Amino acid sequence: MSRKLTTLFFAMLVLAGAMGLKTLVTAHGQGSVLLANGPEPVPRPWK
Amino acid sequence: MPGSADYVIWFLGLILEASVVLCSLQRGLFRRYFFLNLYVLLELLISLGRFRVLAHDGWSSLTYRYFYFYSDALLTIVLFFTVISLYVLVFEELKVERYLRLGAILLLAGTSWFSYEVVNQSSHRMLTYFAFELSQNLYFVGLVLTFVLWGAILKLRETRALLVQLVLSLGMYFSAFAASYSLSNLSPNTFTHMVYLVPAMGCLLPLSWAYAFWRVPDDARLAPARLAVIPR
Repeated sequence: MSRKLTTLFFAMLVLAGAMGLKTLVTAHGQGSVLLANGPEPVPRPWK
Repeated sequence: MPGSADYVIWFLGLILEASVVLCSLQRGLFRRYFFLNLYVLLELLISLGRFRVLAHDGWSSLTYRYFYFYSDALLTIVLFFTVISLYVLVFEELKVERYLRLGAILLLAGTSWFSYEVVNQSSHRMLTYFAFELSQNLYFVGLVLTFVLWGAILKLRETRALLVQLVLSLGMYFSAFAASYSLSNLSPNTFTHMVYLVPAMGCLLPLSWAYAFWRVPDDARLAPARLAVIPR
């Protein structure tokens, strides 16, 4: 039981950390989308 | 409209992606690094699909945008499972695979729920923006997970050179992406430069993975610093 709770805690911690980092990175942004899986030309995102 | 430089980077990426799968197959490591190879193989197929859509409908068409961003979301999900599969390999001696799977499902569900809640409050085009949001959020989850994994590798004194090389490549890739994302948000005018930089960065991951599968033997070990001979 404690291992499962530890897993849940770790998952929530990673999620909170990732969303915090995203907020930090995009703090001054206009919410533009920039993704890149691969070398293809990136299309302009929707406004 | 993409120029000749874009096409050169694109085909270079295709060659590198094919090299990863071929080197992995040739070394008999396809099954051991299944999700990693699945990601690269999917990336290769989606690249070909994107090329077809681009040639047929054009760069500024809605079809290319939709195809690009939806396929990106799919690739990011597979990349997430690639990171989890590297966790399984690093922790394989601790017999915690069950908990890693549970954690991965919880994390994916949590990220999906978070993305849905964000989109639900701010958009009328639910599915499209959900794909964006999920893809971006999973990228940052992958970034954090990779750094945590690197910490675990250092703590456990992991010495398998190939595994270390694969994880470090992934860490560099995620970091480069986050830096480019941050730059483009700090200064939206840099988007014009990013359209060249981002695809070039997309080549780095298959390049380093292809190098790892080609040059680093599966049983190669790094010499731990603590075991280094110190002259008296």
